[in-house]
Amino acid sequence: MKHLGVWTAYSRLILIELIRTPSYVIPSVMFPTMFYCIFALPYAKTAAIADLEMLSFVAFAVIGVTLFQFGVGVAMERGRPWERYLRTLPAHPLVRFAARVNAALVFGIVAGGLVAFVARIFTPVDLVATQWIVFAVYAALGGIPFILLGLAIGYWCNAKAAVPIANVVYLLLSFAGGLWVPVRYLPSFAAVVSPFLPTRQYGELLWSIVTPASAPSALLWLLGYSFVFLGLASLGYRRDERARYA
Amino acid sequence: MTKETVEFASVTKRFGAIQALNDVTFAIAPGETVALLGLNGAGKTTALELLLGLRSPHSGSVRLCGGSPRSAHVRRMLGATPQSTGFPDALRAREIAAFVAANYPDPLAIDTVFRDFGLTEIADRRLGELSGGQQRRIAVALAFVGNPEVVVLDEPTTGLDVESRHRLWERLARKSGRSVLFTTHYIEEAQALASRVIVIDHGSVHFDGGSRELRERFGRKRVEYVGSDGPVVALPEDADRFVRNLVAAQTPFRDLTITAPSLEDAFLVMTGANR
Repeated sequence: MKHLGVWTAYSRLILIELIRTPSYVIPSVMFPTMFYCIFALPYAKTAAIADLEMLSFVAFAVIGVTLFQFGVGVAMERGRPWERYLRTLPAHPLVRFAARVNAALVFGIVAGGLVAFVARIFTPVDLVATQWIVFAVYAALGGIPFILLGLAIGYWCNAKAAVPIANVVYLLLSFAGGLWVPVRYLPSFAAVVSPFLPTRQYGELLWSIVTPASAPSALLWLLGYSFVFLGLASLGYRRDERARYA
Repeated sequence: MTKETVEFASVTKRFGAIQALNDVTFAIAPGETVALLGLNGAGKTTALELLLGLRSPHSGSVRLCGGSPRSAHVRRMLGATPQSTGFPDALRAREIAAFVAANYPDPLAIDTVFRDFGLTEIADRRLGELSGGQQRRIAVALAFVGNPEVVVLDEPTTGLDVESRHRLWERLARKSGRSVLFTTHYIEEAQALASRVIVIDHGSVHFDGGSRELRERFGRKRVEYVGSDGPVVALPEDADRFVRNLVAAQTPFRDLTITAPSLEDAFLVMTGANR
Protein backbone atom coordinates (compact mmCIF):
# COMPACT_ATOMS: atom_id res chain seq x y z
CA MET A 1 0.00 0.00 0.00
CA LYS A 2 2.78 2.37 0.98
CA HIS A 3 4.64 1.68 -2.25
CA LEU A 4 1.44 2.24 -4.18
CA GLY A 5 1.05 5.73 -2.72
CA VAL A 6 4.64 6.65 -3.56
CA TRP A 7 4.25 5.17 -7.04
CA THR A 8 1.13 7.27 -7.60
CA ALA A 9 2.96 10.39 -6.43
CA TYR A 10 5.88 9.75 -8.79
CA SER A 11 3.56 8.92 -11.71
CA ARG A 12 1.65 12.11 -11.13
CA LEU A 13 4.80 14.19 -10.95
CA ILE A 14 6.16 12.78 -14.22
CA LEU A 15 2.82 13.17 -16.00
CA ILE A 16 2.24 16.74 -14.81
CA GLU A 17 5.73 17.70 -15.90
CA LEU A 18 5.38 16.09 -19.31
CA ILE A 19 1.90 17.47 -19.96
CA ARG A 20 3.17 20.98 -19.24
CA THR A 21 6.08 20.55 -21.65
CA PRO A 22 4.67 21.28 -25.13
CA SER A 23 7.98 20.37 -26.77
CA TYR A 24 7.39 16.84 -25.51
CA VAL A 25 3.62 16.53 -25.89
CA ILE A 26 3.35 17.77 -29.47
CA PRO A 27 5.99 15.55 -31.09
CA SER A 28 5.16 12.41 -29.17
CA VAL A 29 1.37 12.68 -29.23
CA MET A 30 0.61 14.61 -32.40
CA PHE A 31 3.34 13.59 -34.86
CA PRO A 32 2.31 9.94 -35.33
CA THR A 33 -1.26 10.97 -36.13
CA MET A 34 0.00 13.75 -38.37
CA PHE A 35 2.27 11.34 -40.25
CA TYR A 36 -0.58 8.89 -40.45
CA CYS A 37 -2.86 11.52 -41.98
CA ILE A 38 -0.23 12.55 -44.54
CA PHE A 39 1.26 9.20 -45.56
CA ALA A 40 -1.41 6.61 -44.85
CA LEU A 41 -4.90 8.04 -44.72
CA PRO A 42 -5.12 8.88 -48.46
CA TYR A 43 -4.41 5.23 -49.39
CA ALA A 44 -6.76 3.60 -46.90
CA LYS A 45 -9.40 2.72 -49.47
CA THR A 46 -9.96 -0.92 -48.53
CA ALA A 47 -10.36 -2.54 -45.12
CA ALA A 48 -7.22 -4.68 -45.63
CA ILE A 49 -5.00 -1.65 -46.29
CA ALA A 50 -6.67 0.50 -43.64
CA ASP A 51 -6.09 -2.19 -40.98
CA LEU A 52 -2.41 -2.60 -41.79
CA GLU A 53 -1.81 1.15 -41.89
CA MET A 54 -3.48 1.70 -38.55
CA LEU A 55 -1.57 -1.15 -36.90
CA SER A 56 1.74 0.16 -38.27
CA PHE A 57 1.22 3.76 -37.21
CA VAL A 58 0.12 2.75 -33.72
CA ALA A 59 3.43 0.88 -33.42
CA PHE A 60 5.16 4.03 -34.69
CA ALA A 61 3.39 6.08 -31.99
CA VAL A 62 4.31 3.69 -29.17
CA ILE A 63 7.95 3.56 -30.27
CA GLY A 64 8.10 7.38 -30.26
CA VAL A 65 6.71 7.63 -26.73
CA THR A 66 9.10 5.00 -25.35
CA LEU A 67 12.24 6.30 -27.08
CA PHE A 68 11.59 9.90 -26.07
CA GLN A 69 10.49 9.24 -22.54
CA PHE A 70 13.17 6.73 -21.67
CA GLY A 71 15.91 7.83 -24.04
CA VAL A 72 15.74 11.60 -24.06
CA GLY A 73 14.06 11.75 -20.63
CA VAL A 74 16.68 9.71 -18.81
CA ALA A 75 19.60 11.37 -20.62
CA MET A 76 18.34 14.84 -19.69
CA GLU A 77 17.46 14.03 -16.12
CA ARG A 78 20.39 12.01 -14.95
CA GLY A 79 22.77 14.98 -14.99
CA ARG A 80 20.41 17.38 -13.25
CA PRO A 81 20.78 18.52 -9.63
CA TRP A 82 17.09 17.70 -9.25
CA GLU A 83 17.88 14.04 -9.93
CA ARG A 84 20.40 14.08 -7.09
CA TYR A 85 17.74 15.48 -4.80
CA LEU A 86 15.24 12.78 -5.79
CA ARG A 87 17.83 10.20 -4.81
CA THR A 88 17.96 11.56 -1.28
CA LEU A 89 14.23 10.84 -0.88
CA PRO A 90 13.27 7.53 0.74
CA ALA A 91 11.72 5.89 -2.36
CA HIS A 92 13.28 2.81 -3.92
CA PRO A 93 14.64 3.48 -7.44
CA LEU A 94 12.34 0.77 -8.82
CA VAL A 95 9.30 2.73 -7.67
CA ARG A 96 10.43 5.62 -9.85
CA PHE A 97 11.09 3.33 -12.78
CA ALA A 98 7.63 1.82 -12.41
CA ALA A 99 6.17 5.32 -12.37
CA ARG A 100 7.96 6.15 -15.59
CA VAL A 101 6.60 3.01 -17.22
CA ASN A 102 3.17 4.08 -16.06
CA ALA A 103 3.59 7.53 -17.59
CA ALA A 104 4.78 5.95 -20.85
CA LEU A 105 1.70 3.74 -20.82
CA VAL A 106 -0.57 6.77 -20.46
CA PHE A 107 1.17 8.64 -23.27
CA GLY A 108 1.35 5.50 -25.42
CA ILE A 109 -2.40 4.99 -25.04
CA VAL A 110 -3.08 8.63 -25.94
CA ALA A 111 -0.65 8.74 -28.90
CA GLY A 112 -1.60 5.31 -30.26
CA GLY A 113 -5.25 5.78 -29.38
CA LEU A 114 -5.36 8.97 -31.41
CA VAL A 115 -4.11 7.14 -34.51
CA ALA A 116 -6.65 4.36 -33.98
CA PHE A 117 -9.40 6.90 -33.37
CA VAL A 118 -8.70 8.80 -36.59
CA ALA A 119 -8.47 5.49 -38.48
CA ARG A 120 -11.76 4.28 -37.01
CA ILE A 121 -13.55 7.47 -38.05
CA PHE A 122 -12.10 8.11 -41.51
CA THR A 123 -11.10 4.70 -42.89
CA PRO A 124 -12.84 1.35 -43.40
CA VAL A 125 -10.90 -0.50 -40.64
CA ASP A 126 -12.84 -3.63 -39.75
CA LEU A 127 -11.32 -5.12 -36.59
CA VAL A 128 -13.81 -6.97 -34.39
CA ALA A 129 -13.92 -6.57 -30.62
CA THR A 130 -11.53 -9.46 -29.85
CA GLN A 131 -9.07 -8.15 -32.43
CA TRP A 132 -9.08 -4.73 -30.79
CA ILE A 133 -8.25 -6.35 -27.45
CA VAL A 134 -5.40 -8.43 -28.91
CA PHE A 135 -4.24 -5.27 -30.66
CA ALA A 136 -4.02 -3.37 -27.33
CA VAL A 137 -2.16 -6.23 -25.64
CA TYR A 138 0.32 -6.67 -28.51
CA ALA A 139 0.86 -2.91 -28.78
CA ALA A 140 1.81 -2.77 -25.09
CA LEU A 141 3.98 -5.93 -25.14
CA GLY A 142 5.82 -4.80 -28.26
CA GLY A 143 6.66 -1.53 -26.53
CA ILE A 144 8.84 -3.28 -23.92
CA PRO A 145 12.01 -3.71 -26.05
CA PHE A 146 11.74 -0.06 -27.04
CA ILE A 147 11.56 1.02 -23.41
CA LEU A 148 14.83 -0.86 -22.93
CA LEU A 149 16.33 0.60 -26.12
CA GLY A 150 15.31 4.03 -24.83
CA LEU A 151 17.05 3.36 -21.52
CA ALA A 152 20.18 2.22 -23.34
CA ILE A 153 20.21 5.50 -25.30
CA GLY A 154 19.43 7.44 -22.13
CA TYR A 155 22.32 5.96 -20.18
CA TRP A 156 24.89 5.95 -22.97
CA CYS A 157 24.22 9.40 -24.45
CA ASN A 158 24.42 12.77 -22.80
CA ALA A 159 21.47 15.14 -22.96
CA LYS A 160 22.68 16.87 -26.12
CA ALA A 161 23.42 13.70 -28.06
CA ALA A 162 20.29 11.84 -26.97
CA VAL A 163 17.83 14.06 -28.86
CA PRO A 164 19.29 13.60 -32.37
CA ILE A 165 20.23 9.97 -31.73
CA ALA A 166 16.76 9.07 -30.49
CA ASN A 167 15.26 10.86 -33.49
CA VAL A 168 17.49 9.16 -36.04
CA VAL A 169 16.99 5.73 -34.47
CA TYR A 170 13.26 6.37 -34.30
CA LEU A 171 12.76 7.53 -37.88
CA LEU A 172 15.23 5.17 -39.58
CA LEU A 173 14.06 2.08 -37.74
CA SER A 174 10.42 2.95 -38.30
CA PHE A 175 10.96 3.46 -42.02
CA ALA A 176 13.14 0.40 -42.57
CA GLY A 177 10.88 -1.68 -40.34
CA GLY A 178 8.06 -1.09 -42.79
CA LEU A 179 5.90 0.97 -40.46
CA TRP A 180 5.50 3.87 -42.91
CA VAL A 181 5.35 2.12 -46.23
CA PRO A 182 4.46 -1.50 -46.92
CA VAL A 183 7.49 -3.79 -46.79
CA ARG A 184 7.31 -4.60 -50.50
CA TYR A 185 7.82 -0.93 -51.42
CA LEU A 186 10.98 -0.54 -49.32
CA PRO A 187 14.19 0.34 -51.23
CA SER A 188 16.35 -2.74 -51.74
CA PHE A 189 18.89 -2.07 -48.94
CA ALA A 190 16.17 -1.39 -46.38
CA ALA A 191 14.34 -4.51 -47.58
CA VAL A 192 17.43 -6.63 -46.83
CA VAL A 193 17.89 -5.46 -43.21
CA SER A 194 14.19 -4.99 -42.50
CA PRO A 195 13.37 -8.54 -41.26
CA PHE A 196 16.07 -8.24 -38.60
CA LEU A 197 14.89 -4.95 -37.10
CA PRO A 198 12.91 -4.74 -33.86
CA THR A 199 10.53 -2.28 -35.50
CA ARG A 200 9.77 -4.80 -38.25
CA GLN A 201 9.10 -7.52 -35.68
CA TYR A 202 6.85 -5.16 -33.75
CA GLY A 203 5.01 -4.55 -37.02
CA GLU A 204 4.80 -8.30 -37.75
CA LEU A 205 3.34 -8.86 -34.28
CA LEU A 206 0.57 -6.35 -34.89
CA TRP A 207 0.00 -7.34 -38.52
CA SER A 208 -0.52 -10.94 -37.38
CA ILE A 209 -3.94 -9.81 -36.14
CA VAL A 210 -5.14 -9.41 -39.74
CA THR A 211 -2.57 -11.33 -41.84
CA PRO A 212 -0.95 -14.78 -41.74
CA ALA A 213 2.19 -13.25 -40.09
CA SER A 214 3.39 -15.32 -37.14
CA ALA A 215 2.85 -13.71 -33.75
CA PRO A 216 4.93 -16.27 -31.77
CA SER A 217 7.92 -15.74 -34.07
CA ALA A 218 7.64 -11.94 -33.73
CA LEU A 219 7.31 -12.24 -29.96
CA LEU A 220 10.47 -14.37 -29.82
CA TRP A 221 12.39 -11.80 -31.84
CA LEU A 222 11.16 -9.02 -29.58
CA LEU A 223 12.13 -11.04 -26.51
CA GLY A 224 15.63 -11.47 -27.92
CA TYR A 225 15.88 -7.76 -28.61
CA SER A 226 14.66 -7.07 -25.09
CA PHE A 227 17.58 -9.03 -23.67
CA VAL A 228 20.09 -7.25 -25.89
CA PHE A 229 18.74 -3.79 -25.01
CA LEU A 230 18.44 -4.73 -21.34
CA GLY A 231 22.12 -5.70 -21.37
CA LEU A 232 23.12 -2.42 -23.03
CA ALA A 233 20.93 -0.41 -20.67
CA SER A 234 22.27 -2.06 -17.53
CA LEU A 235 25.88 -1.59 -18.64
CA GLY A 236 25.12 2.10 -19.19
CA TYR A 237 23.27 2.33 -15.91
CA ARG A 238 26.18 0.82 -13.98
CA ARG A 239 28.63 3.11 -15.71
CA ASP A 240 26.53 6.11 -14.68
CA GLU A 241 26.17 4.84 -11.10
CA ARG A 242 29.92 4.36 -10.79
CA ALA A 243 30.64 7.84 -12.10
CA ARG A 244 28.06 9.75 -10.11
CA TYR A 245 27.06 7.75 -7.08
CA ALA A 246 29.98 5.49 -6.07
CA MET B 1 20.80 1.36 19.08
CA THR B 2 22.89 4.51 19.07
CA LYS B 3 21.55 7.74 20.43
CA GLU B 4 23.27 9.85 17.80
CA THR B 5 21.25 10.69 14.72
CA VAL B 6 24.32 11.24 12.55
CA GLU B 7 27.57 9.36 12.97
CA PHE B 8 30.74 9.58 10.90
CA ALA B 9 33.34 7.05 12.10
CA SER B 10 36.85 7.29 10.58
CA VAL B 11 35.38 8.10 7.19
CA THR B 12 37.73 8.18 4.22
CA LYS B 13 36.72 8.98 0.68
CA ARG B 14 38.92 9.20 -2.39
CA PHE B 15 38.19 10.27 -5.94
CA GLY B 16 41.00 8.79 -7.97
CA ALA B 17 44.15 10.33 -6.56
CA ILE B 18 42.26 13.02 -4.65
CA GLN B 19 41.69 12.40 -0.98
CA ALA B 20 38.37 14.15 -0.40
CA LEU B 21 37.89 13.03 3.20
CA ASN B 22 40.53 11.67 5.52
CA ASP B 23 39.59 9.92 8.76
CA VAL B 24 36.60 12.12 9.50
CA THR B 25 34.83 11.38 12.78
CA PHE B 26 31.95 13.27 14.35
CA ALA B 27 28.48 12.65 15.68
CA ILE B 28 25.34 14.72 16.02
CA ALA B 29 22.83 14.26 18.82
CA PRO B 30 19.05 14.61 18.47
CA GLY B 31 17.99 18.24 18.54
CA GLU B 32 21.47 19.58 17.83
CA THR B 33 22.05 22.22 15.16
CA VAL B 34 25.50 21.95 13.65
CA ALA B 35 27.19 24.15 11.06
CA LEU B 36 29.66 22.55 8.69
CA LEU B 37 32.24 25.07 7.56
CA GLY B 38 35.06 24.82 5.10
CA LEU B 39 36.49 26.55 2.09
CA ASN B 40 35.47 25.34 -1.37
CA GLY B 41 37.06 21.98 -2.03
CA ALA B 42 37.60 21.30 1.66
CA GLY B 43 35.40 18.20 1.65
CA LYS B 44 32.06 19.65 2.85
CA THR B 45 30.18 18.55 -0.24
CA THR B 46 31.62 15.05 -0.08
CA ALA B 47 30.64 14.76 3.57
CA LEU B 48 27.08 15.77 2.72
CA GLU B 49 26.92 13.39 -0.24
CA LEU B 50 27.89 10.53 2.07
CA LEU B 51 25.27 11.53 4.63
CA LEU B 52 22.58 11.84 1.94
CA GLY B 53 23.36 8.35 0.67
CA LEU B 54 24.55 9.65 -2.71
CA ARG B 55 27.98 8.11 -2.27
CA SER B 56 29.69 5.41 -0.19
CA PRO B 57 32.84 5.87 1.88
CA HIS B 58 36.00 3.94 1.01
CA SER B 59 36.53 3.08 4.65
CA GLY B 60 34.87 3.91 7.91
CA SER B 61 31.13 4.20 8.28
CA VAL B 62 28.42 6.80 7.90
CA ARG B 63 25.28 6.13 9.93
CA LEU B 64 21.97 7.88 9.85
CA CYS B 65 19.82 7.02 12.89
CA GLY B 66 21.84 3.82 13.20
CA GLY B 67 21.39 2.68 9.56
CA SER B 68 23.09 3.23 6.25
CA PRO B 69 21.82 6.28 4.34
CA ARG B 70 22.30 4.20 1.17
CA SER B 71 19.12 2.27 1.96
CA ALA B 72 15.84 3.90 1.12
CA HIS B 73 13.99 3.07 4.34
CA VAL B 74 16.73 4.68 6.46
CA ARG B 75 16.35 7.88 4.46
CA ARG B 76 12.81 8.26 5.83
CA MET B 77 14.60 9.91 8.75
CA LEU B 78 16.29 12.37 6.39
CA GLY B 79 15.17 15.59 4.76
CA ALA B 80 17.44 17.53 2.43
CA THR B 81 17.39 20.69 0.34
CA PRO B 82 17.45 20.37 -3.42
CA GLN B 83 19.65 22.82 -5.30
CA SER B 84 17.01 25.31 -6.33
CA THR B 85 18.77 25.98 -9.62
CA GLY B 86 17.61 22.61 -10.88
CA PHE B 87 13.92 22.73 -9.96
CA PRO B 88 11.47 21.35 -12.53
CA ASP B 89 10.04 24.67 -13.70
CA ALA B 90 6.66 23.36 -14.81
CA LEU B 91 5.55 22.26 -11.33
CA ARG B 92 3.72 24.37 -8.78
CA ALA B 93 5.16 24.85 -5.30
CA ARG B 94 2.32 22.96 -3.67
CA GLU B 95 2.59 20.06 -6.12
CA ILE B 96 6.24 19.57 -5.42
CA ALA B 97 5.69 19.72 -1.66
CA ALA B 98 2.85 17.18 -1.90
CA PHE B 99 5.11 14.94 -3.93
CA VAL B 100 7.92 15.12 -1.37
CA ALA B 101 5.45 14.54 1.49
CA ALA B 102 4.18 11.36 -0.24
CA ASN B 103 7.65 9.85 0.16
CA TYR B 104 7.46 9.90 3.96
CA PRO B 105 5.37 7.88 6.39
CA ASP B 106 4.38 10.77 8.66
CA PRO B 107 4.73 14.08 6.81
CA LEU B 108 3.79 17.51 8.09
CA ALA B 109 0.73 19.32 6.71
CA ILE B 110 1.89 21.27 3.66
CA ASP B 111 -0.16 24.34 4.57
CA THR B 112 1.54 24.49 7.96
CA VAL B 113 5.02 24.20 6.48
CA PHE B 114 4.23 26.82 3.84
CA ARG B 115 2.88 29.16 6.50
CA ASP B 116 5.99 28.64 8.64
CA PHE B 117 8.25 29.52 5.75
CA GLY B 118 6.11 32.36 4.43
CA LEU B 119 5.26 30.53 1.22
CA THR B 120 1.45 30.55 1.40
CA GLU B 121 1.07 33.27 -1.23
CA ILE B 122 3.25 31.50 -3.77
CA ALA B 123 1.94 27.99 -3.11
CA ASP B 124 0.08 27.81 -6.41
CA ARG B 125 2.68 29.45 -8.60
CA ARG B 126 4.91 27.49 -10.93
CA LEU B 127 8.49 27.17 -9.79
CA GLY B 128 9.75 28.65 -13.06
CA GLU B 129 7.89 31.89 -12.33
CA LEU B 130 9.43 32.39 -8.89
CA SER B 131 12.47 34.46 -7.97
CA GLY B 132 15.70 32.79 -6.92
CA GLY B 133 15.04 33.74 -3.31
CA GLN B 134 11.53 32.27 -3.35
CA GLN B 135 12.83 29.05 -4.88
CA ARG B 136 15.50 28.89 -2.20
CA ARG B 137 12.87 29.18 0.53
CA ILE B 138 10.86 26.39 -1.05
CA ALA B 139 13.98 24.25 -1.22
CA VAL B 140 14.56 24.74 2.50
CA ALA B 141 10.91 24.05 3.32
CA LEU B 142 11.06 20.77 1.37
CA ALA B 143 13.68 19.48 3.80
CA PHE B 144 11.12 19.75 6.60
CA VAL B 145 7.97 18.55 4.79
CA GLY B 146 8.66 14.86 5.51
CA ASN B 147 8.95 15.55 9.24
CA PRO B 148 12.35 13.79 9.38
CA GLU B 149 14.67 13.34 12.37
CA VAL B 150 17.63 14.75 10.51
CA VAL B 151 17.54 17.81 8.27
CA VAL B 152 20.45 18.60 5.97
CA LEU B 153 20.58 22.09 4.48
CA ASP B 154 23.19 22.80 1.86
CA GLU B 155 23.81 26.54 1.92
CA PRO B 156 20.23 27.37 2.89
CA THR B 157 20.47 31.13 2.41
CA THR B 158 22.89 31.51 -0.48
CA GLY B 159 21.50 34.07 -2.89
CA LEU B 160 19.00 35.55 -0.44
CA ASP B 161 18.99 39.24 0.40
CA VAL B 162 19.85 40.21 3.96
CA GLU B 163 16.25 40.61 5.05
CA SER B 164 15.01 37.24 3.80
CA ARG B 165 18.13 35.62 5.19
CA HIS B 166 17.32 36.92 8.67
CA ARG B 167 13.69 35.89 8.31
CA LEU B 168 14.75 32.38 7.35
CA TRP B 169 17.11 32.23 10.31
CA GLU B 170 14.23 33.10 12.61
CA ARG B 171 12.25 30.19 11.24
CA LEU B 172 15.15 27.78 11.39
CA ALA B 173 15.98 28.82 14.94
CA ARG B 174 12.64 27.52 16.24
CA LYS B 175 13.63 24.34 18.00
CA SER B 176 11.89 21.25 16.80
CA GLY B 177 13.78 18.34 18.34
CA ARG B 178 15.34 17.61 14.97
CA SER B 179 19.03 17.39 14.27
CA VAL B 180 20.03 19.97 11.71
CA LEU B 181 23.29 19.94 9.79
CA PHE B 182 23.93 22.82 7.44
CA THR B 183 26.74 24.19 5.35
CA THR B 184 27.16 27.87 4.78
CA HIS B 185 29.40 30.51 3.32
CA TYR B 186 28.17 33.03 5.88
CA ILE B 187 30.03 32.73 9.13
CA GLU B 188 27.43 34.87 10.87
CA GLU B 189 24.86 32.27 9.84
CA ALA B 190 26.78 29.61 11.75
CA GLN B 191 26.99 31.96 14.70
CA ALA B 192 23.28 32.75 14.60
CA LEU B 193 21.93 29.23 14.18
CA ALA B 194 24.41 26.58 15.26
CA SER B 195 25.11 25.36 18.75
CA ARG B 196 28.17 23.64 17.35
CA VAL B 197 30.56 24.22 14.49
CA ILE B 198 32.57 21.63 12.61
CA VAL B 199 35.33 22.96 10.41
CA ILE B 200 36.63 20.77 7.61
CA ASP B 201 39.78 21.64 5.77
CA HIS B 202 41.72 19.52 3.30
CA GLY B 203 39.43 16.60 4.05
CA SER B 204 39.99 16.52 7.81
CA VAL B 205 38.07 17.87 10.78
CA HIS B 206 40.08 20.81 12.12
CA PHE B 207 37.69 21.94 14.77
CA ASP B 208 34.58 20.57 16.42
CA GLY B 209 33.02 22.58 19.20
CA GLY B 210 30.89 25.54 20.20
CA SER B 211 31.09 28.64 18.07
CA ARG B 212 32.23 30.67 21.09
CA GLU B 213 35.00 28.15 21.77
CA LEU B 214 36.11 28.41 18.16
CA ARG B 215 36.30 32.15 18.50
CA GLU B 216 38.20 31.97 21.75
CA ARG B 217 40.69 29.40 20.59
CA PHE B 218 41.48 30.78 17.21
CA GLY B 219 40.07 34.27 17.47
CA ARG B 220 42.33 37.24 17.23
CA LYS B 221 41.37 40.80 17.74
CA ARG B 222 40.98 42.67 14.50
CA VAL B 223 42.98 45.87 14.27
CA GLU B 224 41.90 48.41 11.68
CA TYR B 225 43.27 51.86 10.95
CA VAL B 226 43.76 54.26 8.10
CA GLY B 227 47.44 54.61 7.34
CA SER B 228 49.25 56.81 4.85
CA ASP B 229 48.53 54.27 2.08
CA GLY B 230 44.85 53.86 2.93
CA PRO B 231 42.89 51.47 5.18
CA VAL B 232 44.74 48.59 6.86
CA VAL B 233 43.20 45.47 8.44
CA ALA B 234 45.33 43.14 10.55
CA LEU B 235 44.73 40.01 12.61
CA PRO B 236 47.85 40.05 14.78
CA GLU B 237 48.57 37.36 17.34
CA ASP B 238 48.88 40.00 20.03
CA ALA B 239 46.85 43.11 19.29
CA ASP B 240 48.30 45.10 22.18
CA ARG B 241 51.87 44.56 21.06
CA PHE B 242 50.87 45.31 17.47
CA VAL B 243 49.54 48.72 18.51
CA ARG B 244 52.59 49.43 20.72
CA ASN B 245 54.85 48.64 17.76
CA LEU B 246 52.77 50.88 15.54
CA VAL B 247 53.25 53.78 17.94
CA ALA B 248 56.92 53.01 18.58
CA ALA B 249 57.63 52.97 14.85
CA GLN B 250 55.87 56.33 14.57
CA THR B 251 53.66 54.98 11.78
CA PRO B 252 51.09 57.62 10.88
CA PHE B 253 47.58 56.33 11.50
CA ARG B 254 44.07 57.50 12.31
CA ASP B 255 40.66 55.92 13.06
CA LEU B 256 42.23 53.07 15.01
CA THR B 257 39.68 50.41 16.03
CA ILE B 258 40.23 47.10 17.76
CA THR B 259 37.30 44.71 17.59
CA ALA B 260 36.50 41.45 19.39
CA PRO B 261 37.35 38.26 17.51
CA SER B 262 34.67 37.23 15.04
CA LEU B 263 34.06 33.69 13.92
CA GLU B 264 34.99 34.67 10.41
CA ASP B 265 38.41 35.88 11.50
CA ALA B 266 38.89 32.77 13.63
CA PHE B 267 38.06 30.69 10.60
CA LEU B 268 40.52 32.53 8.43
CA VAL B 269 43.28 32.14 11.01
CA MET B 270 42.59 28.46 11.51
CA THR B 271 42.53 27.49 7.85
CA GLY B 272 45.55 29.59 7.09
CA ALA B 273 43.60 31.57 4.53
CA ASN B 274 44.64 34.72 6.39
CA ARG B 275 47.41 36.26 4.30
